[in-house]
Amino acid sequence: MDLHEVERLLEKYWQAETSLEEEQQLREFFATGQVPAALKGAADLFAFFQAEQGKTIGQNFEGAVTKQLKVRREGKLISMIGLQNVGRIAAGIVVVVAATFLIRQEIRKSYPKELQDTYTDPQMAFEETKRALQMISNSFGKAKKEASKMQMLNEAEKKIQSKSDSDKISI
Amino acid sequence: MTLEAFQNMVFPVKNKLYRFAFRLLGNNEEAKDVVQEVMIKVWSGREQLDNIQNMEAWCMRITKNLSLDRLRQQQRRPTDSLEKGMHLSHHSLTPAEATELSERMKRISELMAELPEKQRQVMHLRDIEGYTYAEICEILEIDMSQVKVSLFRARNTVREKLQKMDAYGLA
Repeated sequence: MDLHEVERLLEKYWQAETSLEEEQQLREFFATGQVPAALKGAADLFAFFQAEQGKTIGQNFEGAVTKQLKVRREGKLISMIGLQNVGRIAAGIVVVVAATFLIRQEIRKSYPKELQDTYTDPQMAFEETKRALQMISNSFGKAKKEASKMQMLNEAEKKIQSKSDSDKISI
Repeated sequence: MTLEAFQNMVFPVKNKLYRFAFRLLGNNEEAKDVVQEVMIKVWSGREQLDNIQNMEAWCMRITKNLSLDRLRQQQRRPTDSLEKGMHLSHHSLTPAEATELSERMKRISELMAELPEKQRQVMHLRDIEGYTYAEICEILEIDMSQVKVSLFRARNTVREKLQKMDAYGLA
């Protein structure tokens, strides 16, 4: 194809008036590599188109998709994206569980010793519990005695109060 | 439809689907994911395939819709360079020439990525995949005049930018 014809077709190409056949002729011309400097820009563009046409998705794709389609046929869809999401959720749960465990350990360490479970022998634990309850019971007993004294004082105060009131009325 | 028949019908267009998804998303892994989704979608609706007149255009349309859905979800434009993975034959070039060509290809890739979405789609489908105007109408679900106007504008923008590149260099 002579240069005049190439320039004419190229002008048609820029105006978006070329047919597919004419565009193919341009592709073939630029693929020869014998391009004058004035057409370097167009040559680059057609080289870019050619390079793009050679891009492929990769050899493993068909096998991976076939597996997916077979699983799908069996009624169980596990998409790559779905698997990724499941993985993310699982990782999140692991992190939360691990964090909870560690925090719990830290809190336990900071507990006062009395609050910790220190008895491994059930009999000893029973005796200690009985002793603690006995102590609480004794304290309750003491408190009751003190409370009955308070009650006596209150009653005496009421009597004095009523006596003074009746004296005031008689005056 | 058997899995084998499906594979024979759909797998041959996988690279076109991938390139189109890649043009829209600008990301290799996402483009692969989209093509996988397309395959699964088409397989799921295989009972209705008899009603589809142009299987390839239909797959391309699903690719476009899924890619645009992803872009909308992420609220972004494609940013990755398409230069990665280009298959250029550098046999007769010196290392310096090969580097310069690679730079120019990268620049053209960026020029295309800068085009408005519709223009980018139309130019890709026509100049890289070689579809007819009627097929582009079907894939993009737009009318013929929109296809022609978009292609005209896209090619003219690219032409102007190429002229500037030639006049002022790559920088």
